[in-house]
Amino acid sequence: MVEPHKSEEQIIPPSSLNPDKIHTWPFLVRVEFIVGLLVLIFLTIWSIAIDAPLEEPANPTKTPNPSKAPWYFLGLQEMLVYFDPWIAGVLLPSLIIVGLMVIPYIDINSKGSGYYTFRERPFAVGMYCFGFLILWIALIVVGVFLRGPGWNFFAPWEAWDPHKVVALTNVDLNMWLAQTFGLDFLRNQVVAALFGLSLIGGYYSLGAVFYLMKVKTNETLQKLGPVRYGIVAFLFLTMMALPIKMVLRWTLNIKYICVLPWVGINI
Amino acid sequence: MQTNIPGSEKLVEKPVERNLWTRRDFFGFAGWGAFLSAIGLGLLGFLRLLYPRVLFEPSPVFKAGKIEDFVEGEVSEKFKEEQRVWIIREAGKIYAIQAICTHLGCTPRWLPLEGKFKCPCHGSGFTKDGVNFEGPAPRPLERLAIRMDEEGNLIIDKSKKYLYEKGQWEDPESFIVL
Amino acid sequence: MGGPGVVYRFMNLIQLKAKYEEIRKTVVDSYVWKSIFRHGYKDTPRNRVLMTASNVFLHLHPSKMRRHGIKISYTWCAGGLTFLFFLVTVVTGVILMFYYRPVAEYAYVDMKYLQFDVPFGMIMRNMHRWAAHLMVILVMLHMFRVFMTGSYKPPREFNWVVGVLLLVLTFLLSFTGYLLPWDQLSIWAVTVGTNMARATPLLGHEGPFAAQMQELTGLVTPRYDARSLLTAGTVVGAPTLLRFYVLHCIFIPIAAAILMIVHFWRVRKDGGISGPL
Repeated sequence: MVEPHKSEEQIIPPSSLNPDKIHTWPFLVRVEFIVGLLVLIFLTIWSIAIDAPLEEPANPTKTPNPSKAPWYFLGLQEMLVYFDPWIAGVLLPSLIIVGLMVIPYIDINSKGSGYYTFRERPFAVGMYCFGFLILWIALIVVGVFLRGPGWNFFAPWEAWDPHKVVALTNVDLNMWLAQTFGLDFLRNQVVAALFGLSLIGGYYSLGAVFYLMKVKTNETLQKLGPVRYGIVAFLFLTMMALPIKMVLRWTLNIKYICVLPWVGINI
Repeated sequence: MQTNIPGSEKLVEKPVERNLWTRRDFFGFAGWGAFLSAIGLGLLGFLRLLYPRVLFEPSPVFKAGKIEDFVEGEVSEKFKEEQRVWIIREAGKIYAIQAICTHLGCTPRWLPLEGKFKCPCHGSGFTKDGVNFEGPAPRPLERLAIRMDEEGNLIIDKSKKYLYEKGQWEDPESFIVL
Repeated sequence: MGGPGVVYRFMNLIQLKAKYEEIRKTVVDSYVWKSIFRHGYKDTPRNRVLMTASNVFLHLHPSKMRRHGIKISYTWCAGGLTFLFFLVTVVTGVILMFYYRPVAEYAYVDMKYLQFDVPFGMIMRNMHRWAAHLMVILVMLHMFRVFMTGSYKPPREFNWVVGVLLLVLTFLLSFTGYLLPWDQLSIWAVTVGTNMARATPLLGHEGPFAAQMQELTGLVTPRYDARSLLTAGTVVGAPTLLRFYVLHCIFIPIAAAILMIVHFWRVRKDGGISGPL
């Protein structure tokens, strides 16, 4: 096969060409063709060797234990353990999609376009890797390999015991505070709802506090402006809510931060 | 702007205040409005099309046998396969619980040794009378309308649900006093 | 008996090459050949550009590109391979449609039929399934690569948005396909998935504000809400299967194909593959 550099030199003097540009035909088309062929061979061998799964016929009255979604949704299914379906199944996925879409409009760092770099955009790359590798890929791995019957944790070498008993007795935050610190006024539903709402409001206003504290001295924040900053902060805090809720569940068995039974909202 | 287009001089000459909307503007808006509302109505019609008037689904009402068929203090799984319903007889009353997890609709299992319902999908647990106490389920299991016909058969209607959080478990139609 | 002489005669590559050239010339100079291919073409820069620009399949490429854009270490080939696997699923999917009936009584039986009684049927199903999985993996890798190289930055902002939509459509394609075999895996994955729609705020009958919406509109009941739109009824049953089948085979693939065309076109129009400025 002819080297790209050589053949071009043979045909026309390189000085008349943009040195960084080469012809799509044959240099790219050739690579595409070869890679495509190799991958198709790989896929064919895989398909001959391993059969696609097919379980028993559908039976609406018998749920298999454990009942797992396709692997690429197991990150979502893992979130369902910590949040109510309307958050884990509807709100967070929508926010993930919208959040991904707005990335180009809130990332005003002009550096790092077209090459791999961490140093020139540490925040963007750091956030993305956290969201993608930890909150998406790692949760998929947990769902695929570590979850067993009853959606309990099982180490990969452990046998799946369908009768494993794990205390999953959860309490709402207000009840936990009431029990632990004797704050009995939190047992009242209305007080608890107001308390929960103000906790969540306080959590999100952390973003505003940070902005007001730093905006005078920080150039990046000034360039970002309040609107873009607001979107970044909201998405960031929402993303961090997932690990926070997970830790609260593992350590204190907290079920909900805020319960509003009148409109059917549990957070 | 428009001044370059032949024949458009008149439009420009007219004082703007007198003709805030030109005839052309008006028909433009009217045309687009008609077009978009036709599309919108079409979409609404399509949305309605996706909800048929009649659903061919099994009847929600079924006969569950006599009271004597059920042992006091036990959770009967007799109709779980067919109807997704547990029938529970306690001292003094009998009621039916729908075997659908309130989290995401899986079928929980009754674990007699531990005395609880346990959902295999996400680990929600419910006490024997259906109250959620562990896992992600947001509310207790649903109870169903139950009554007795003239021959003493239990009739269960799955289309009528009684929710604990709305205080409906006190509703006399949600259980039979023995 | 042969002996070394025979081997030598067959191994004489120079002679072999000469023979090949002779045959080739005879064929290429023949009347029939010349009636099909009027003339060859010279390997000139102009002709190389024409190869991409005048071919309907190749013209989504720019005719010239940055040298680093063909490096596998830069692109990981992820975007192109996502498209390749899409094509594989389209071809194998169409073949599977010859045997598959989207009816609750038959769907599972047809799977078994494909497996045991249709020659190469199981391989088609395997390729369809594994290519779908690989497509999901590669679309995620592609997004990761594009983010890492900052390739969503101006002027490529909108193409990133199109890409996110394609990611969503890829997941939806896989998810709707999951129900079609009508086995335990299918029905429970879809039960869980559609039950999330039940919890949609305002539109699902168990979501936030459901009670308020019921009072206001009389809708948002188990019969008329976001979930029954997907399941075509109050339970995951035969109508659900048909609805998912149509979504899986027609609706979403067409939407995805249109977006893919936009996506590839925009790669070219937004300055080709991204690179150091």
